[in-house]
Amino acid sequence: MRTTRRSALALFGGAAVAALTGCDSLKPTSDGTGDTIVLRVQGMPPATEKASLDQFAKLVADFEKANPGIKIEGSTNVWDSMTFSAKLAGGSIEDVISVPLTEPQGLIERKQVSSITGDLRGWNHYQEFNPQVLKPISDAAGEVYGVPEAPFALGLVYNRALFAQAGLDPDKPPTTWADVQAYAKQIAAKTGKPGYVQESKDNQGGWQLTMITYAHGGSMERLDNGKYVADFNSAPTKSALNLLKTMRWTDDSLGRNLLNNQNDVIKAFAAGQVGMFLGTPGTYRLAKVTYGMTNTGDYGIGAMPQAGGNATLSGGKIYMVPASVSAAKRAAAVKWLLFAYAQPQYDPAVAAANAKALAADPKAAVGVPTLPLFNQAQQDKITAAIQPYVNVELPHFAPYLTGTPALALRAEPAVQAQAIYAALDTAIQAVLTDRNADVDALLAKAESDVNAKLAAAQK
Amino acid sequence: MSADLTEVPARSTERSGGAIAAGAARSRRRSAWRADAVAFVLLIPAFVVFGLFSWWPIIRGLLISFQETNLVEPARWVGLDNFHAIFADPLLGKAAGNTLLFVGLALLIGFPAPLILAAIMSTVRRAGGIYRFLAYLPVVIPPVVSVLLWKWFYDPGSGLFNAVFGLVGLGPFPWLQSPDSAMLSLVLESTWAGMGGAVLIYLAAMVGIPAELYEAAESDGAGIWKRIWHVTLPQLRPTIGLLLLMQLISTIQVFTEPYVFTGGGPQDSTVTVLLLIFRYAFQNGAYGQAAALSFLLAIALAVLSAVYLRATRSWSRS
Repeated sequence: MRTTRRSALALFGGAAVAALTGCDSLKPTSDGTGDTIVLRVQGMPPATEKASLDQFAKLVADFEKANPGIKIEGSTNVWDSMTFSAKLAGGSIEDVISVPLTEPQGLIERKQVSSITGDLRGWNHYQEFNPQVLKPISDAAGEVYGVPEAPFALGLVYNRALFAQAGLDPDKPPTTWADVQAYAKQIAAKTGKPGYVQESKDNQGGWQLTMITYAHGGSMERLDNGKYVADFNSAPTKSALNLLKTMRWTDDSLGRNLLNNQNDVIKAFAAGQVGMFLGTPGTYRLAKVTYGMTNTGDYGIGAMPQAGGNATLSGGKIYMVPASVSAAKRAAAVKWLLFAYAQPQYDPAVAAANAKALAADPKAAVGVPTLPLFNQAQQDKITAAIQPYVNVELPHFAPYLTGTPALALRAEPAVQAQAIYAALDTAIQAVLTDRNADVDALLAKAESDVNAKLAAAQK
Repeated sequence: MSADLTEVPARSTERSGGAIAAGAARSRRRSAWRADAVAFVLLIPAFVVFGLFSWWPIIRGLLISFQETNLVEPARWVGLDNFHAIFADPLLGKAAGNTLLFVGLALLIGFPAPLILAAIMSTVRRAGGIYRFLAYLPVVIPPVVSVLLWKWFYDPGSGLFNAVFGLVGLGPFPWLQSPDSAMLSLVLESTWAGMGGAVLIYLAAMVGIPAELYEAAESDGAGIWKRIWHVTLPQLRPTIGLLLLMQLISTIQVFTEPYVFTGGGPQDSTVTVLLLIFRYAFQNGAYGQAAALSFLLAIALAVLSAVYLRATRSWSRS
């Protein structure tokens, strides 16, 4: 009996120990010290996008053939702020992650991602990267932390059908914010739909106010005695907020749904319910593939309208390597990033083969323009090579493609960008929901709140 | 001799009786120990699971509240800095006020609603199951789906509510779009989504009320309202009290509604304590501050839980 009890105790104890030590076996990848490095990478398309998935599978096969010591495991996981930290802490985050361009500066600041400059330097064309594209994914010392898949500058997306219905020329989107105001008013009056929709929640209101501030010649932060302080309590941001206030309460051109994030806006746009909004050409893909926009011919995009700033914010999808990843795996990850994302944006033959494969699926969006990852001459070669397979209405991107090169590309605020966006979400919401909102007081309060957070972050 | 004889067996009996008693006690202790050991062994898996997934995270959370960490590099001890930072955040007071407003509105609207519904349903003679099913249905809908459904109800342009009110010449109302009505809108959805469980508990408690009490009240000439006031409510007192405390504890932790409906807006009018914790952790990467605020919230909830346990005990005794 005693032996039985001991056995039972040993069994349970052993099970407990096994359960504890077994946690290690939950880690999905090897640590890279063995002969074969298993690299888990985000960016694998979901099963619903068959052509893209097939293309990804071929990419993996080609890469593994060229790099016998590396095995790729694709993951359909996408960036999720709620799970990222937990996965990072638990060691189960992928070795290559994909994040929107709103995230890199925060991840770099919190030291959650690795610099890949050293590994990137080994590539022949490293020096040819477009410095404007690398800037938002670099730190102040110039260390690079990621590779962009499709770099963009923010512009003005518009519904060509609503433009026509309102008596506006769909080939001539507004180029100034005064025009945006006038066009929005006209669209709202003639079609009954919001002429312009402003994002205002989940920090995206502050993000978009940053774009409008840049377009007005302002900035969000400035260096003061070597420390960053808030710089938005100034004329450009005040003009931007006053403009939105006038559009909301005098022109009544912003509609009634005033608490929106990007998904809300693109969903409504895909359903033909929005005249204009701020976005990248990549919103074409989201509207078509994710939200089922059928009349894609209605999609139009122009460069960011200006009001003296001659600048816009850069955007896009970035692939990065978490700081928890070992050096050996990081080197393998950079090989993958160059093979999968940089090479196709450099080599016209690879780009053409990819476009051909993708074009097999009519639901895919092939040929959505991007900013040159290298230089314009190289980008022109790519554009020519993929031309036979393009299925997006390229002429509708012309105002964007001709207008954007004249603008300076500016990055997100360097320190505590999300804190700035959160504080300005509140200011934007006040302007949109309170007829008597005091713009000066709102910005003064936001400045005070942000400066407290900036000071705490730069101790 | 006889005395001796009689004494010896007596002493012998005493001794042997004592030995038996001592042996029995030892046997009882052994068997109790055995039972304890078996229970302990059986509890080990539970200890492991609770330890790994409940106690350790709680301890870790408490430690992180005194640290600065990015969850990758070694954490740095910062003493009470995280607590200073959250108390310096102007949004904390607003979030605490909003949370209390949500709790208060939920008490005012959400608490009596299931009681009234259960009282009405208990008078239904036929097809009661259908009503119970309908009342419970919202509970089985995933919370995010409920919120998205109500988001359409509240849509200021094409939403159901404004369309219905418009038929009788009322509105349009801004619902979620105004700081004055946003929180109330969250409470209405939350009440609809969560009251099914409370309705069933009240119904079950009502079944347990002796019919004689109603008969006696009826024979004294009491109408339906008097019967509810003088019989139903006093008999439900323990259930009402428990549900009240449970609602307080759950509504203080409101997160899904403000997160999905409004993101805390407009103008921070729906930022709650839990949403603030979320923002600290997942938007600002300030895990130490998030843990510190979670710790403070946990203390508040522990106080409420203590009240809950105390009340439960006193009601059990009564």
